[in-house]
Amino acid sequence: MTDVRFPQLSAEQPDAEGVLATWFVGDGDQVASGQLLGEVMVEKVSGEVLAPATGRVRLLVAEDRTARQGEVIARVE
Amino acid sequence: MSVTESATAPAEPAVRRLTTARAMVEGIAQEMERDAGIVVLGEDVAKYGGIFGSTAGLLDKFGPRRVIDTPISETAFIGLGIGAAVEGMRPIVELMFVDFFGVCMDQIYNHMAKIHFESGGNVRVPMVLMTATGGGYSDAEQHSQCLWGTFAHLPGMKVVVPSNPADAKGLMISAIRDDNPVVYMFHKGIMGLPWMAKNARSVAPVPEEPYETPIGKASVAREGRDATVVTVSLSVHHALDVADQMSAEHGVELEVIDLRSLVPLDREAVLTSVAKTGRLLVVDEDYRSFGLSGEIAATVAETDPGMLRVPVRRVAVPDVPIPYAHSLESAVLPTRERITAAARELVGA
Amino acid sequence: MDDKTRRELYRVMVLSRTYEEAILREYHADKKPAFDIGAGLVPGEMHLSAGQEPAAAGVCAHLRRDDAVTATHRPHHIAIAHGVDLDRMTAEIFGRETGLGRGRGGHMHLFDPQTHFSCSGIVAEGLPPATGQAFAFQRKGSGRVAVAFTGEGAANQGAFHESLNLAALWKLPVVFVIEDNEWAISVPREASTAIGSNADRAAAYGIPGHRIEDNDVEAVYTAAGDAVVRARAGEGPTLIEVHTVRLWGHFEGDAQGYRPDLADVPGRDPIPAYEARLTEAGILNAGLATSIKDEAVARVEKAIDFAKSSPVPAPQTALDYVFA
Repeated sequence: MTDVRFPQLSAEQPDAEGVLATWFVGDGDQVASGQLLGEVMVEKVSGEVLAPATGRVRLLVAEDRTARQGEVIARVE
Repeated sequence: MSVTESATAPAEPAVRRLTTARAMVEGIAQEMERDAGIVVLGEDVAKYGGIFGSTAGLLDKFGPRRVIDTPISETAFIGLGIGAAVEGMRPIVELMFVDFFGVCMDQIYNHMAKIHFESGGNVRVPMVLMTATGGGYSDAEQHSQCLWGTFAHLPGMKVVVPSNPADAKGLMISAIRDDNPVVYMFHKGIMGLPWMAKNARSVAPVPEEPYETPIGKASVAREGRDATVVTVSLSVHHALDVADQMSAEHGVELEVIDLRSLVPLDREAVLTSVAKTGRLLVVDEDYRSFGLSGEIAATVAETDPGMLRVPVRRVAVPDVPIPYAHSLESAVLPTRERITAAARELVGA
Repeated sequence: MDDKTRRELYRVMVLSRTYEEAILREYHADKKPAFDIGAGLVPGEMHLSAGQEPAAAGVCAHLRRDDAVTATHRPHHIAIAHGVDLDRMTAEIFGRETGLGRGRGGHMHLFDPQTHFSCSGIVAEGLPPATGQAFAFQRKGSGRVAVAFTGEGAANQGAFHESLNLAALWKLPVVFVIEDNEWAISVPREASTAIGSNADRAAAYGIPGHRIEDNDVEAVYTAAGDAVVRARAGEGPTLIEVHTVRLWGHFEGDAQGYRPDLADVPGRDPIPAYEARLTEAGILNAGLATSIKDEAVARVEKAIDFAKSSPVPAPQTALDYVFA
């Protein structure tokens, strides 16, 4: 089981909130390590969420919801 | 892990989904890998990756010799693309907003589009002019237009307008490989950008290998027997949403034709569908008069007006500059509400 | 400059003038008794280059067939100096199927891929594509150059400024040549241009600018030589302005009522002046001049005969060649 965290996009505000803009995979999908899972935004900066491992992904935060940088937003089992 | 678990076959990876923006970029990147003569030019296409994400990541992959930021000189850099194409390169030039065509249209319609014909076919201009179109996010009069009717009206350039990620990649590859000038018009609202409201179909499966989507062929996005909706770009998604709702609420089945290309125009697809349903609604985010919607209506009228059981309906932007205030903008764009009202009138529901 | 080069400049100018005189004759022959622009074997607008030969001859002498040239609505002297096939060019002007553009383009839209020559009827708009050809040449590391000809009136168009900036910024191997024939149709340069010499505009783009006076073909040759060497060496563009003379109207049919200096114009003809100069230098004599003229006449009449005996494009083919 590997945590997938919201990327750190703002160094000056490490606790800043952002949005889970897009999930490219569905809850329960099989994913490969390094695969593009989603896209996030903190203010004006966007970032990519990549799979840290191969396995089945469980999405913990819905699209368009807010989350903090560093927060666990998904898990790969 | 138990013995029974280890005997299970490994799970298939989920089919790969991309946003329209990423799909476009993948098409460009795969072609650039194949052909060293392809370069990308435009404002903010390098480090920024295109202000609507159309070139994101290309600079890192291909370097500054092939992904080039230009000064704010549309006439010069579009003309430069023309000259480079004449000499054997295959440039992809971005016009940041289609609304900016005013400052450089001579190079586009009098040169890029005409050189092949003027030279009796002896000179080719194999270039792609890609440009962002569309409104709905309050960018007002000079940054929200579609204008494909204007480009399609002028002879000598192909015009493609993808509505979804898979077509975005396939049409980009076809456009690049085409030896003619191709104007590739992408609606900002289908790009799946994280900073603009997006519809669900802006993220969809896209085949990984390079492939061509034929230029000049429409696709039947949804089959139906009660009325034909001919449309393009973002309006395809609104039409599909309306079709789902009308099916569920009224038992009416709309057929949705996604034109995908305006030049060449797949008139056969329109006629085949209208011959079947007898009812035609054209949805077009470009201005209503003297454009695409009139062209579709004329196509039916000059072939066999008897096909139509009721007059043609058009839902388009009503000959007015696109207003800033959200309440006004949503009154003039071809929204689901307007499409639904027109479709209901068409079928008498 | 050696004698051979000087005689060759003279020969090219004589060929060019002979050609324009023949086109003038053919153009007007069947538009009588009153001028009807759409009538005859060569209908449409006609912009002839009599008087401007030094700019074309002096610049193109430095170019190879695979160097690119873009010209304007007044292209014949430039096309001839760059070596465009005279038969096919003439057939195109006569709108024949054997023309460079199969009769589709006509006199303002001459395209010759063999010599990378093209022209456009939109003032200043030939400059951006020339920078594009230069861009492609730069990529190939070929040492090839592009030359864009334009007029002094065009130097006030946006495309001119955008092209000079971009070419300077990217050090493109292009030479920009302005033919200042003093008149943008009926508007004199002083009434359109804020400064005295367009060559001074080069400084705004950080590139060299030279103004050649007196329609002097040898001064053009020298300045152009430097510019072409500079471009081939990868050092970037140059702007050359040639103060030349438009001996005839802007277009054929132009009565030039706006032109107060009309009586002086024939006296400014550069070809007799250059002939006199070369004769004095012992490089030319009456006999040689006559044989050069006779050769030119023969070549030009052959091209005209070829055009006149060529087929007219069939109306059923009117929709061909829109797309490759």
